[in-house]
Amino acid sequence: MDLPNMVLDWLAATIRLSAPLMLAGAGGLFTERTGIFNIGIEGMMLCGTMAAVAASLATGNLLIATLFAMFVGGLLALVHAYLTVTRRADQIVAGAAINLFALGITNLLNTPLYRAYEYRPRAPLYPVLAPEALQELPFIGPILFDQPVIVWVAFILPFVAAWFLYRTTWGLNIRAVGDHPHAVATAGLSVFRLKYAGVIISGLSAGLGGAALALADLGLFAPNMTAGRGFAVLAAFVVGKWNPIYVAAACILFGAADALQLRAQTYGLAIPYQIFVMLPYLLTIAALAGLVGRTVGPKTVGKPYDPQIV
Amino acid sequence: MVEQAEVALRMVGITKHFPGILANNDITIQVKAGEVLGLLGENGAGKTTLMNILYGLHRPDSGEVFIHGKPVTIASAHEASELGIGMVHQHFMLVENLTAIENVVLGLPAERPPLLDLEPARVRFRQLTKEYGLELDPSTPVWQLPVGDQQWLEILKLLFRKARLLILDEPTAVLAPSQAQQFFKTVRRFAEEGRAIIFISHKLEEMKEVADRVTVLRDGHVVGTVDAKTATPSLLAEMMVGRSVFLDRRPRPVTETRKEVLVIDSLNCLNDRGAPALRDFSLTVYAGEILGIAGVDGNGQRELAECIAGLRQPTDGTIHIMGDSVRGVVSDTTLLGYVPEDRRKTGLVLSFSVAENLLLKTCIYPPYTRRGVMQWPTIRRHADELIGEYDIRTPGSMIPTRYLSGGNQQKVVVARELSGGPVLLVTSQPTRGLDLGAVEAVHKVLLRERNRGCAVIFISTELPEVLALSDRIVVAYKGQIMGEIDGEGADVNLIGELMLGHREARPTPVGEST
Amino acid sequence: MTKRQSRPVLPVLGELILSGGRPVLAILASLVVSSLLILASGANPFRAYAAMLDGAVGSAAALANTGVRAAPLLLGGLGVALGFKAGLLNVGVEGQIYAGGAAAAAIGITPLPVPAWLHIFLAIVAGFLGGALWGLIPAYLKAFRGVSEIVISLMMNYVGIQFASLLVHEPSPLALEGAFYPQSPLILSSARLPILIRGTSLHAGLPLGLLIAVILHLALRYTPFGFRTRITGENPEAGRYAGVNIRAQIMLVFLLSAGLGGLAGTGEVLGLKLALYDYFSGGLGYDGIAVALMANGNPLAVILTALFFGLLRAGAGKMQVAVGIETPIAQVIQALAVLFVIAIGFAEQVRITRREGTEMVAEEAPAHGPS
Repeated sequence: MDLPNMVLDWLAATIRLSAPLMLAGAGGLFTERTGIFNIGIEGMMLCGTMAAVAASLATGNLLIATLFAMFVGGLLALVHAYLTVTRRADQIVAGAAINLFALGITNLLNTPLYRAYEYRPRAPLYPVLAPEALQELPFIGPILFDQPVIVWVAFILPFVAAWFLYRTTWGLNIRAVGDHPHAVATAGLSVFRLKYAGVIISGLSAGLGGAALALADLGLFAPNMTAGRGFAVLAAFVVGKWNPIYVAAACILFGAADALQLRAQTYGLAIPYQIFVMLPYLLTIAALAGLVGRTVGPKTVGKPYDPQIV
Repeated sequence: MVEQAEVALRMVGITKHFPGILANNDITIQVKAGEVLGLLGENGAGKTTLMNILYGLHRPDSGEVFIHGKPVTIASAHEASELGIGMVHQHFMLVENLTAIENVVLGLPAERPPLLDLEPARVRFRQLTKEYGLELDPSTPVWQLPVGDQQWLEILKLLFRKARLLILDEPTAVLAPSQAQQFFKTVRRFAEEGRAIIFISHKLEEMKEVADRVTVLRDGHVVGTVDAKTATPSLLAEMMVGRSVFLDRRPRPVTETRKEVLVIDSLNCLNDRGAPALRDFSLTVYAGEILGIAGVDGNGQRELAECIAGLRQPTDGTIHIMGDSVRGVVSDTTLLGYVPEDRRKTGLVLSFSVAENLLLKTCIYPPYTRRGVMQWPTIRRHADELIGEYDIRTPGSMIPTRYLSGGNQQKVVVARELSGGPVLLVTSQPTRGLDLGAVEAVHKVLLRERNRGCAVIFISTELPEVLALSDRIVVAYKGQIMGEIDGEGADVNLIGELMLGHREARPTPVGEST
Repeated sequence: MTKRQSRPVLPVLGELILSGGRPVLAILASLVVSSLLILASGANPFRAYAAMLDGAVGSAAALANTGVRAAPLLLGGLGVALGFKAGLLNVGVEGQIYAGGAAAAAIGITPLPVPAWLHIFLAIVAGFLGGALWGLIPAYLKAFRGVSEIVISLMMNYVGIQFASLLVHEPSPLALEGAFYPQSPLILSSARLPILIRGTSLHAGLPLGLLIAVILHLALRYTPFGFRTRITGENPEAGRYAGVNIRAQIMLVFLLSAGLGGLAGTGEVLGLKLALYDYFSGGLGYDGIAVALMANGNPLAVILTALFFGLLRAGAGKMQVAVGIETPIAQVIQALAVLFVIAIGFAEQVRITRREGTEMVAEEAPAHGPS
C-alpha cells in the first residue's frame, strides 16, 4: 500500500475506532464530575456490546439495539450507584466487582447466544447515511463520510455533553457536587440525586459505546471484546482533564494508536503492535506523573459522601 | 427597638436525640424582627444542632417551629430557604473551583431553565456589593478570595435569597478584632432593615457588642435569656458553665536565672498553599515560663509549631532546642513534647488502642520492642501507669481511642508528650473543644510543667486563656511577632491592636536575654 | 480510675463475628442469586452445586485442583491485603503477575550452573523482584508526589500485559521459535516448582502462600514494620509526627505488595503453566483484589477466601460436565459475592461511623454535627 492510501486508511480507521471511546467518554466523565469513580465502565461497555448484538440479531432494528445496550449499561450503573452513593462502599472495589460480574455473565451467555442463532450470523450494522456524493470526496470523503451513523453521534455527543455541563443550571450543580457536596446540600439540592444521575449517565453512555463497538463494523460478540477500552476511557478523563471536548480529543488520540496497532504489520512497521496498544496507558501515566501539565480532578472523587459528617 | 416588633421566629419545646446524646432538651427560643438574638453556649451545648433543625438539616424528635406565628415543618434546606431562613455556617459552604457568582447562584431557580444565565444575577450582585460597600468581582474563582471575602460571599448568598431570618454560626472565627467590629456594624444594619438575626457564639464579649438579647444554652437546655446590655460578663459566664468562673491570673514563682531552651532566629517558612507563613520570625523561650502566643488563627502559629516539632521544613533561619539545631521530626521525648492543634488528625490514631497511642513514639523501640518483636505486656503496663497518673477515663488500655471523650483523648496526647519529661512543651489550641473540667485539667498540667522548669509555649486564639496563663505574651501577625508583653497586667486593647498588625512605638526586643 | 487491666472481650468478639459473618452472608446470597441463573438455564441448582462441590473437594485430584486455582489468588490477595493495611489500593496486581511471571520465566528457561534448589530460588526471587519493579512507578508517585496509585496501577496493568506479550512474540529472546501460540520455551525442569501430590498439578506455590500469610499476620501485629504499616494506613499524619517515615513506608509496602503479585505470576509460570504464555493470566489480578476484600484485608482470612474462590473455579468444570452450566458461572458467583459483601458490609461501617461521629462531634468544636 502506498503512503497516501495508508494514511487514509489509518485515519478512517481512527475515526471509526474512536467512536466507542468517545461515546463512553462523553457521558462517562459525568460520574467523576459528581465525585464517583466508576471503573466499571469497562464492564458496562462489555455488557452493552453483548446486549447490542443480541438485540440486533433478535429484532434487526438498530434503534432498539442501541437503546437496549444503553439500558443494560444503565442498569449496571444503577447497581454501582446504589453501592457507592447509598451504601458508601469503596468505589474502586464496586467497579472492579461489576467488571468481574460483566465478564462472567457475558462469558456465560456467549454460547447460548450463538446457539440461538445457529449460523453465527453477523448482526445488522449501523448504516452509512451520508449521500454517495459526499463519500466520494477526496480524502475527507472516506474518512468522515464513509462511516456508520453512530460515528457521527460520537462526534456530536461531546458537544452536547459540554453544553449540558457548562450552560445549564443542572450542569453547574454537577460541577459543584464533585467538589463540595455539602455546599450543594445546603443550597437545597439533592446530592444523592446528582450523584446517581452522574453514575447512571456514565452507564448509559458506556452501553452506547459498547453498541458502537459491536455494531459499527463487526456485528459479532466475542468474549472480553472490550479488551480494556473502558480503562482507556478512564485514561482519557485524566488526559482530557474532565472536559468533554478534551476528553473526546484524547479518545481520538487513543483511537489513532489503536488503529495503528492493528495495522502495524500490514504497514510493514518495524515497531511491534504491542507498543501501540500500550501508548494510551503510558500517556496517562505520564500525565498523572505531572509530565504533561497539571491534572487536578474533582476534589472528592473516591470519597463517600456522608450527610452527617462535614 | 421600642415599638412592638413582630415575633419572627419561635421554637417551642425542641428536643433532639442522637445516639447516646441528648443534644437539645426542650428548648424554647424566640426572636423578633429587627432584633439580634445571641445564642451563647460552650462547644457541645446544642447551639448548632438547634440551628440545623431550624435550617432543615435535622428533624426534631418533638417540638414546634413558628415563623411569623404560623406553625411550619422544615424538612430540608430548600424549604428553609423558601421560608426566608438563611444560614452562614462556620465552615464555608463554597465550591472553590467555581466563581463567586456561580456559588451564589447555585440552587437558585433558573431564570430561563434549563439554561444557566448568569447575567441577571451578576447585575444584582453588583448592586448588593455597592450597597454594602464591598469590592468583590463576581467572576473570581472562590479559591482566590481571602477568607473575609469568602464570608461576605456566604452572606451575599443569603441576601440573594431574600432571607429575612439570618443564622450566623460563629462568624467571627475567621476575623481579626477590628474586622469583627465592622462585621457587628453590618449585622446591626441587617437588623435595622427589619431582619431577625440569630448570632451563635461561645464568646461572651461579642454578645454584649452585637446582640439585643442573649439566650444561653448549656448541655442541651436553655439556662435563661437576658438583656445583652445589662448582663455582666461574669453572669453570662456563670450561666454558660454553671458555676462561678475565675478568669484571674495564676501567680508565678520567681526565678532568678533565665536559661535559654528554645532559640528561633529569623525563621522563614511557607504554608500549605506555598505562601509565606513565617517571616524572619525570631523568638527565645526560657525554662520555667509559659510563653503565650496570641493572634487570630492563620497568622503562622500552626506553621511555627510544626517547624519547632520538625514537621515542617523552614526555608530559612534556624531553630535550636537546648543548643541543638532542629533537623527533621523531633522524636526525642526528653527534648520536646508537642500537643498539636488537631489531636484527632495529627495527635492520635483513633483506631489504635489507648496503649498504642500512649506509646506512639516509643513502642517500637526498646524496652517495648526487643529483637524486633513488640512486647505487648510491657507496653500495656506502662500505658496503665500513665492512665492512672493522668486520670484518663477508659474501660481499658486496649480500647480503640475513638471511644474516649474529647477531654480524655486530649489527656492521652498530653500524657504521651510529657512522659519523657521534655524541656520544651509546645501546645497549640490545647483546650479547643473541651468541656470546662478538661480545660481546667489542661491548665493545671501546663502550670505544673512550668513550675517543674519546663519551657512552655502556649498558642491559643482564646485571649482570656492566654492572659490568665502566660508569663509573657507575644502576638503573631502575618508570620511575624508584633510585640512582647508581660503577662502581668497585660492590656487587652494593646493586644488587640497588635493582633491587627498595628505596631506601637517600639515593640520590646524579643530574644535578648536579660 | 483504671479498672483492671482487661482486654475488652465483648467488643473484640463482636467485631470478629461481624467481620466473619459478613462474607459468609454475602456468599450465601450470591449462591442463591446464582441458583436463579442456573434454574433459568434449565438445570437443577442443587445438582449443580453438588457437582461443583464434588469437582472441588470430592477427590484428591479435586482438592489438588482447588489448591492449584487458589495459589495465585492467595499470593495476589495477600499482596492486596498488605496494601490495604497501609491504606494503599494496589489494583495493579494483574500487571505485576505478568511482570513477575516474565522475570521468573527469564531465569527459568536459562540453564544455570547451579543446583536445582538454587535455580528455583533464583527464579522465585526474580519473579518477586519483577513484580516489585512493576509497582515501582505507582509506589514512587504515591509516596513522593502524592498521586493516587489507583489509576496509575490500572494503566500499568495494560502496559504489563502488552510487555509480556512482546516478550513471547518473536523476535524476542524469550520467545519460542515457531510456536503455534506465542509462548516462551518451557521452563527447565531444574527451575520448576516441586509438585506436592504426584499426578496432580498442585505445586509449591500454595504452601508458599500459606507461609507468607502467617508471616504477614505475625509481622503486622508484633513487629515495628507492622506497626509502621498500620499507622501509615490508619493515620499517616500522626505517623509522621510519631517519627515514622511515611514515604519510605509507602514505598516499602507497595513494593512488597507488588512483589507478592509478582509471586502470584511466578507460581503460575514455574508451577502450573511451565512456560510464559501470551495472556496467561485471565484476570487473576482482579480476582486477587476480590479475595483481599472478602477477607477484609486480614492475611489469615485471605487464606479462606482464596480457597473459596479456588473451590468455585475448580468445581465449575465438573458442574459443566454434570449439568451443562458453562464454567464462567464461577466468575459470576464470585462477582456477586463481592457485590453483596460491599453492599452488606458497609451497613456496619456506616453504623460505626455514625455512632462515633456523633459521640466525638458532641464533644468537639462544632463541625456541623450536634452542638
